[in-house]
Amino acid sequence: MNAKKGWANVSIVVALMVLGLVFSPFAGAADIKIGALNDMTGATSDVGKDYALGIAEAIHYINDTGGINGRKIKLYQFDYGYRIPEALTKYNLFKRLKCAAILGWGTGDTEALAPTVAKDKIPYVSASYSGHLCKPEKTPYNLFFSTDYSTQSRGLITSWFDKKWPTKPDYGKRKPRIAMCYMFASPFSSSSIKAAKDQAEMLGFEIGPDQDVSLFAIDTKSQILSLKEFKPDVVLHTNTVMSVAATLRDAYALGLGADNLIKCWGFDENLPRLAGKAAEGAIGCAPWAFYGLDVPLMDKVMEYAKKYNPGIPQEKRTIHTVQAWANALGLAEALKRADKAGDLSGEGILKKGFETMRGYEIGLGIAPATYTPTDHRSQSEAKIYEYKNGEFVLIDAVDLKARWPEKWKNEWLGW
Amino acid sequence: MNKKNGLRILLSVFLVAALFSGCAGMAAKPTEQNFKAPVITLDNMEVAHAFGYWYFSNKVEPTKGKPDNVGAPLDLAFTFNLENPNPFPVQLENLKFSVLFEDFELNTVSTNATQWIPPGATNQVLVHAHFDVRQSLLSLLVTGGFKLKEKGTNAWAALEKWWTGIPNYEIPVTVSSGAAVFKAGDMVKVATFEATFP
Repeated sequence: MNAKKGWANVSIVVALMVLGLVFSPFAGAADIKIGALNDMTGATSDVGKDYALGIAEAIHYINDTGGINGRKIKLYQFDYGYRIPEALTKYNLFKRLKCAAILGWGTGDTEALAPTVAKDKIPYVSASYSGHLCKPEKTPYNLFFSTDYSTQSRGLITSWFDKKWPTKPDYGKRKPRIAMCYMFASPFSSSSIKAAKDQAEMLGFEIGPDQDVSLFAIDTKSQILSLKEFKPDVVLHTNTVMSVAATLRDAYALGLGADNLIKCWGFDENLPRLAGKAAEGAIGCAPWAFYGLDVPLMDKVMEYAKKYNPGIPQEKRTIHTVQAWANALGLAEALKRADKAGDLSGEGILKKGFETMRGYEIGLGIAPATYTPTDHRSQSEAKIYEYKNGEFVLIDAVDLKARWPEKWKNEWLGW
Repeated sequence: MNKKNGLRILLSVFLVAALFSGCAGMAAKPTEQNFKAPVITLDNMEVAHAFGYWYFSNKVEPTKGKPDNVGAPLDLAFTFNLENPNPFPVQLENLKFSVLFEDFELNTVSTNATQWIPPGATNQVLVHAHFDVRQSLLSLLVTGGFKLKEKGTNAWAALEKWWTGIPNYEIPVTVSSGAAVFKAGDMVKVATFEATFP
């Protein structure tokens, strides 16, 4: 009898322990699978690697801080070398793995997959910030936590017009002159040119001849000499950092004398390293804070970079790590909301997650994010930085929606 | 009957003890103080597959299939030793590293295949890194232009040198910024590593 009692007591203890294990944090809850497509070998690997590291570090942080309402994220991260066939292959793998969402990368994979993700209803959070991806009726499952390229270009031109043009000797005597340097054949480089020209026309600029600058360019003297005939006050650059640096260097050497406006992918910590003195005074749009700046959550970004990739010196980490955190944290918030609503399907993540965000604050120096069922431009504010005396300094924040509400609402969506 | 019950109780006590200890027979429990980062060394780099050096632009009509910009693949396999200096088992959760040909970074490779390393033991992990001429060309053109110019060379010359030299183990291949994530209990340790082969 006593023995029976003892046996029963022991059984209870064991049962309680098993229950304890079952109800421990994360126990029993299935992981939420997320796919990540990254470029660590191809044409954009210089910035892609830092972004990829940031994605993995951010997922560690999300899991360490409770995951998705107690469920961990299982990350499947692959390099696709910026090759579209490889991106399609990996996408099929993500589908087989039943990934709830995908953290994508560039214009190539994002545009190639847009119709497929819409059909499959898989949210695709990319690092391509093309304005073409913001119209839900065309690309309902494409999202990103950034100011889109068109809004960036409009903001840059507006900020220069407001702040720099009045300081010029010819202010009030003639129209300001603007020219644009980009790779004509690149969908990425040319994606915001139409919007930029529209903004320049609206503000009364004289627009000069476009200059075809390859993403591979290290010598742009012929383009600069052509620009010298037009005498621009300001030049908009929409390429990536190496060719932007080459253009700035040649403009500086040949005495073009124009100010420089640069879209986000050409304006990072590597620009002054590559362009030297020619980077001084360059103005760029950076929707996120530069790595190490004093903004909410930056301490965590740096802590996790040091913890998980201690072999990479801090001075080699860039704003692209911060970009990655923005997309990862934004996706995590959408997942939490959809999960709370009891619907982690692709449509649930979109409708009950992303599209419920109204002025959602991530931190990281990012403007508040809002998505609606009819508008996926998550931000209307372009944050403008100037590179001065070895530092990136925030000089302006242009809210396009607040300034031109009718045009924002009725004219500018989707291009 | 009493003896049987006594044995049952004894067995149950053992079971409880085993559950509490986390792993029967474990000599020590991992703590923040005693958890040492495992030591990672490059044991070998092997050219797993080489296809020579060639490149076709999409203007060239292939014998079969569609034309495209394609270049020779190159598959390198890196074998690492994972030495666990701890008196308890540790789990490898992830391992990643960058690969440089001479001093041009061309790839960042990772594996998420987990494995347990017994106390005091050394395991090995094999990681493949895929390269091809097209991919590496774009990487060099977009990012390495200034550096190639400084060195008095160009992307094509560098690629030919590497694709013909690496299969003969004539070009130094460097493993850089290596980081491996290990777990023991709730603790996480990251081990770093660097190496050049040959």
